[in-house]
Amino acid sequence: MIEKMKLLNKYPILFALLIPVLLLNSCAEKESILITSDDYHNSVDKITLIMVHDIFSPPVASRIYAYPNIAAYEIIVQKDSAYRSLTGQLEGLTAIPKADDQTTNFGLAALIAHMDVSKSLIFSEEKVESYRDSLYQIWSAKNKTEFETAKAYGLKVSDHIKNWYDGDLYKQTRTMPKFTIDTDDPSRWQPTPPAYMDGIEPHWNKIRSFVLDSAAQFKPLPPPPYSLEKDSDFYKELLEVYEISQKITEEGDSSEEVVIARFWDCNPYVSVTRGHLMFATKKITPGAHWIGIVKIACKKSNADFNKTVFAYTKTSIGIFDAFISCWDEKYRSNLIRPETLIHQNIDENWKPILQTPPFPEYSSGHSVVSGSAATILTHIFGDDFSFTDDTELAYGLPVRFFTSFNKAAQEAAISRMYGGIHYRFAIEIGLRQGIEVGELVVEKLAMNK
Amino acid sequence: MKNQKFLRSMNKLWSLSLVFFVLNSCKNEDRLFELLPAKKSGISFENTLTENDELNILDYLYFYNGGGVAMGDINNDGLPDLFFSANQETNKLYLNKGDLKFEDITQSAGVMGKSSWNTGAVMGDINGDGWLDIYVIAVVGINGFVGHNELFINNQDNTFTEMSGEYGLDFKSYGTTAVFLDFDLDGDLDIYLLNHAVHTQESFGRAQIREERNEKTGDRLLRNDDGYFTDISEIAGIYGGINGYGLGVSVADFNQDGYPDIYVGNDFHEDDYYYINNGNGTFTESLKQYFGHTSRFSMGNDVADINNDGLPDIISLDMAPEDEVVLKSSEGDDSYQTLKMRTEQFGYHYQYSRNMLYINNEDAPYTETAILSGVSATDWSWSALFGDYDQDGKQDLFVSNGIPKRPNDLDFIHFVSSDEIQKKMNDNKLVDQQALEMMPSGEINNYIFKGDGKAGFVDMTANWIPTERTVSGATAIGDLDGDGDLDIVINNINAPAGIYINQTDQNANYLKIKLDFKAKNPFGIGTKVYVYHNNTLQFKELFPTRGWQASSEPILHFGFGTVAQIDSMKIIWPDRTFQVMLNIKTNQSLTVSPKNTLPYSYERKPTRKLFRKTVDNLGITYVHKEDNHTDFNYQKLIPYEVSDRGPAVAVGDLNGDGKEDIFLGGARNQKASVYIQKDGGFELVDYPVISNDSVFEDVSAQINDFNEDGINDLFVASGGTIISPSRKILANRFYANTDAGFEANLYESYQNSSTLKTFKQNDSLRTDYFFVGNYTSVLDFGKLPNSIIRSSNIDNILEHLGMITDAIWDDFDNDGQTDLIVVGEWMSPKFFKNEAGTLTEVSVLNDAITGLWQTIIPFDIDHDGDTDYLLGNWGMNSKFKASPEAPMKMYYADFDDNGTTETIIAIEKEGKYYPLLGLNELSEQMVFLRKKFSNYKDFAGKTIEEVMGVDLLANATVFEVNTLSSGFLRNTDNTFTFDALPNELQTAPIKAFVTYDFNGDGKQSVLAGGNYFGVIPFHGRFDSFSGAMINSEESITLGNQLGLEMEHKSVRHLKIIHLENKPYLLVVYNNEAAQVYEMNPNN
Repeated sequence: MIEKMKLLNKYPILFALLIPVLLLNSCAEKESILITSDDYHNSVDKITLIMVHDIFSPPVASRIYAYPNIAAYEIIVQKDSAYRSLTGQLEGLTAIPKADDQTTNFGLAALIAHMDVSKSLIFSEEKVESYRDSLYQIWSAKNKTEFETAKAYGLKVSDHIKNWYDGDLYKQTRTMPKFTIDTDDPSRWQPTPPAYMDGIEPHWNKIRSFVLDSAAQFKPLPPPPYSLEKDSDFYKELLEVYEISQKITEEGDSSEEVVIARFWDCNPYVSVTRGHLMFATKKITPGAHWIGIVKIACKKSNADFNKTVFAYTKTSIGIFDAFISCWDEKYRSNLIRPETLIHQNIDENWKPILQTPPFPEYSSGHSVVSGSAATILTHIFGDDFSFTDDTELAYGLPVRFFTSFNKAAQEAAISRMYGGIHYRFAIEIGLRQGIEVGELVVEKLAMNK
Repeated sequence: MKNQKFLRSMNKLWSLSLVFFVLNSCKNEDRLFELLPAKKSGISFENTLTENDELNILDYLYFYNGGGVAMGDINNDGLPDLFFSANQETNKLYLNKGDLKFEDITQSAGVMGKSSWNTGAVMGDINGDGWLDIYVIAVVGINGFVGHNELFINNQDNTFTEMSGEYGLDFKSYGTTAVFLDFDLDGDLDIYLLNHAVHTQESFGRAQIREERNEKTGDRLLRNDDGYFTDISEIAGIYGGINGYGLGVSVADFNQDGYPDIYVGNDFHEDDYYYINNGNGTFTESLKQYFGHTSRFSMGNDVADINNDGLPDIISLDMAPEDEVVLKSSEGDDSYQTLKMRTEQFGYHYQYSRNMLYINNEDAPYTETAILSGVSATDWSWSALFGDYDQDGKQDLFVSNGIPKRPNDLDFIHFVSSDEIQKKMNDNKLVDQQALEMMPSGEINNYIFKGDGKAGFVDMTANWIPTERTVSGATAIGDLDGDGDLDIVINNINAPAGIYINQTDQNANYLKIKLDFKAKNPFGIGTKVYVYHNNTLQFKELFPTRGWQASSEPILHFGFGTVAQIDSMKIIWPDRTFQVMLNIKTNQSLTVSPKNTLPYSYERKPTRKLFRKTVDNLGITYVHKEDNHTDFNYQKLIPYEVSDRGPAVAVGDLNGDGKEDIFLGGARNQKASVYIQKDGGFELVDYPVISNDSVFEDVSAQINDFNEDGINDLFVASGGTIISPSRKILANRFYANTDAGFEANLYESYQNSSTLKTFKQNDSLRTDYFFVGNYTSVLDFGKLPNSIIRSSNIDNILEHLGMITDAIWDDFDNDGQTDLIVVGEWMSPKFFKNEAGTLTEVSVLNDAITGLWQTIIPFDIDHDGDTDYLLGNWGMNSKFKASPEAPMKMYYADFDDNGTTETIIAIEKEGKYYPLLGLNELSEQMVFLRKKFSNYKDFAGKTIEEVMGVDLLANATVFEVNTLSSGFLRNTDNTFTFDALPNELQTAPIKAFVTYDFNGDGKQSVLAGGNYFGVIPFHGRFDSFSGAMINSEESITLGNQLGLEMEHKSVRHLKIIHLENKPYLLVVYNNEAAQVYEMNPNN
């Protein structure tokens, strides 16, 4: 209902802009439905909100972003010769059906496909439906024939993409074994406070990747050997996490490091327990934050609809493969989190600034994802691209300014150490790992002609 | 009867008030309790909570725990008066004027109180002047709460003077309540002060934190030193850590040695404490020794002898809801792995979120029977009070409960709270009052249960008490109207105090005993009274501080049904003297003071027990050690583990010296052990061919001359659900005993095996029949595996025989030919008749008895000359629920069409079937349910058909269980009828039987062993069956009476072994050391 009202409010503006078009067409035909970049941004934003509500883990969220974007992208390349289809470039993707009618509003069809594929991937379908139906009504009222044609085509492509993603082993991995906790090996990951959740997505490396030839293609160096000897590399890194955390905690909330840690928290589910009272603060995932940066870049560069879809698509592909690469390593090295070791060996009352997420430490997921996304965005928008990042405003966090995507990625990576949830090596190597994934996507995917 | 009662109550009411009668005449004339309205009683007290953004459940986790109530005669006029403490308002003292009229004398009495936040209120005669004083507990030092615990000393003129400072009792801590007890038997009353932590830690922390004393949160033991209380907690061995969430405390002489002991219930992950009084001023905390598991969010607790055996039993309350909607929309138990971490890594005990009822076994561990007893789920519960409310001689149970807002509502946790937080991002507070308002209400009716005197209870809530939905906390009982029965007074939040007047009146007989003990303890706190009548015993011990932040009238109340006179009464005073009174008339209030007392000796004669653990275990050092494999990590929805049936054990002569040797198999990655009998004991001998096969999970073994070469061989069945690196590790193994040692051969049956049973015909050496029972299909629970009968080296496959657990070769039709009986889970026992070597399944059961059968043994239990069969089943102390009318169902299919099957259990409640597990558990395996139910409210209360859809269920295979009782098949002319064994044998799964003449009387008996832990925390832990010797239906003795120590361990096999011709009992456990018992040691 709220969404509907918003759109109605917008309507007069659109109407005013379209008056010349309307006049030209008023006798013979109804006005054409104009789809803008903003419409696409809005659809992506809507799905982000639903993901936050439904609570998806970061790897699963990356999948929910990627497939709808690809569906939309494959539709726009039907018409726009500046872009190339991903058919044959992404594992298992076959050519989408051709539109019966070349006058189809491809932008509209792309948007409809985006919403429809998204709806199939999230849980709260009714939330997509109410959003979608309010748009459908407007479009239908404006030009029923054009809308119905685009819708039929969009849904057809959506079905094609659904068939494709159905074969990515997502469904099968749901019933694969849970991560078995083994406390005999002190270096091995254990669930962390406060919720002590089981390790999530231990089989994500089995999910079909888009561009990587295997989940292990960019297998990082192993972490430093586990050791609690005071002069070992590992212990020094552990102590560094503790000491930085102590220092910046002392400096207080206004400390730059604390601000950075919180800004990039991107934890979709932080559980809070006060006695019997439990609640959750929910935020967007690391991938979602970078999807937010795509929007910022598109808007700042006045990207048209097709370039917008292209930017989202390429970035979400990079994020998706980054998670596969990272998760492959996480459940290979199964490394214990700093929080567990600090409790056991240094300070049993220590609490990290950020809540430790429920999966093994190495490598740092946010670092890998940020490295990949920043590399792709730099390729699309250039290295010298400054921007104001207001992605987290809705979650009560301030805006931050960055001079480039890579600078943002570096800050995202180091934020994990400030937050007390990663060792430095997991960040540095993770960032490198992500850049490699991003470079592969840039290199391998021919999307621009 | 009903009419008579009605007329009586009519007369009574008529005389009281015509208007009242008219208003109430049309309802509830059969109710045991009637609500006494404030208008009539004059009791206007109401514990009104004022929440705001600065003070609510977020700021103080026990914001909703309520105030206190104490009942006692403060002016010694024979009528119990009432004192209430409110959290934020002033206390109230009401003088009982008789006729259920009360007068508020708070102001004149000077007991309004000055603390910001009051909790418990208890009465006790602290200065021993014969007049009850009042101790009010406060929370001080957080949220700006000021004040201190206040002690109102009775001036004997309806006024009081606050003297906590003078007595050393003006604590400024986070108090819950206090109990009066004379722990050192020096004659005066000491105090156990129960405090609580106020911040839940985000991480579990070490359990040992409890040893580091915290002044605010730690409990205190306060010794009365001539009127001044000295904190002796530290030297007395009382824990006082930052993790002590003390919410419930009960005092009783649990081990019957004359010294009062203490049970403390702690909320959250901190263990409860069971303090055994050492009699020297110190206590030994002994929870893990006596309790296999406890309630998790322990709230109030209470003590009474509920099975009339003279021993005090305990109930500890928790917050498990009974209502299906509340149940499925509330946060449940830990995950399997979290509980494992908390217990094994952090050192906490096993805790589960439901009420626990602990039956006292004197020196042996308690038997926990809450589910079997019918009292496990009473929702958000605070106070438990045992009492004989209907005066039939059996203890009943009242439970108060309710919470203004349910903070563990899953929708609130996952969806509502975060949306609210999102909206309020600019506020300083994360969650404000408006957000908290969005939690669902937890106002519910209280519960009352009628006891059967055998630890069984029937829910009488709808019939006995007003069913108004309230938030009821502290509770006191006593006889307000002097009619002999127990009335109930409840401190409610945001509602007038609940006064339930008992209408038993003259319908049943009572005896009220007021004790008049010595100076310093005139009320006789700690006195034990044993009443004998009609061959029954009732036992009570006077500790009136009970009932959640409350104390009850300091009297002992007994019910006697129609008995007009009781035979005798033994009173043991706290000073270890006793007296006996004979032929006491019922329906009177009796004041008893010490008279002609004699010293009482608590010394117990050592009783002769049938079994005694051998000192050296005969040299058997075997400890079974399970691998770190969890079936639930592989098949998340299976009802129980399927790879923990080991170890295997076989007894027989392996080295040809004519003496019994013992094979004990290993778990996966554990070497099997062979013990060879030597002079004076068994010796571990390594046979590399056998011990090298440690990769197998050994579940069953047989020693026999399988290859007919004159020397015994060994056959071992392998189980488990691990198939990597190859299916080979499921192969059964045949170890041929040759001159050159053992030779291993794989016998390829790639199933999760469970049992091997051989049968030799006519005592020849030849093994004629050989049954290999298979339990489950690997990683496909629900697909029925084949089992095998091998004879003359030919395998006869019994296709999809079932989930087989045990089998016996026995001539069930008495035709001289040995037949086969097979038992298993989700099936009825199967009988195969042997006709000249051909086995044919026959139908000999009068009714199908589908069960979770674990084991079978032939035994003529009714001593009528034919063979009956004892059957071990799952037991009735379980959240599984089954009956012939409403069997438990298990649906098996690949519901989400991803190539992997699922099983879903559904049980019946009020005519409908519901999935046993919640949305989180089900959707973890079947993600499509998340799409179908995007919140918990939509899921909660839905039937299995609504959850899964009728079409999906129609395509599933359905298994059923119609009985969970262990029992026996009674033989009548070779047809069999099932009878259940008594409740003492239904507390846990029975996993093993053995027949032997244990006591040497020439008659065979059966010994049963059991317990099982391979279930998710939702089910708890079946740990309290101590075993049982079954001589006949009527003659059954529990293992804890026999000298057996089988509690808290899961029995797999019971074997009779012989060393130098002397028989011993070998008990083999899963994941534990094996035990050897001597039999009849005194003969």
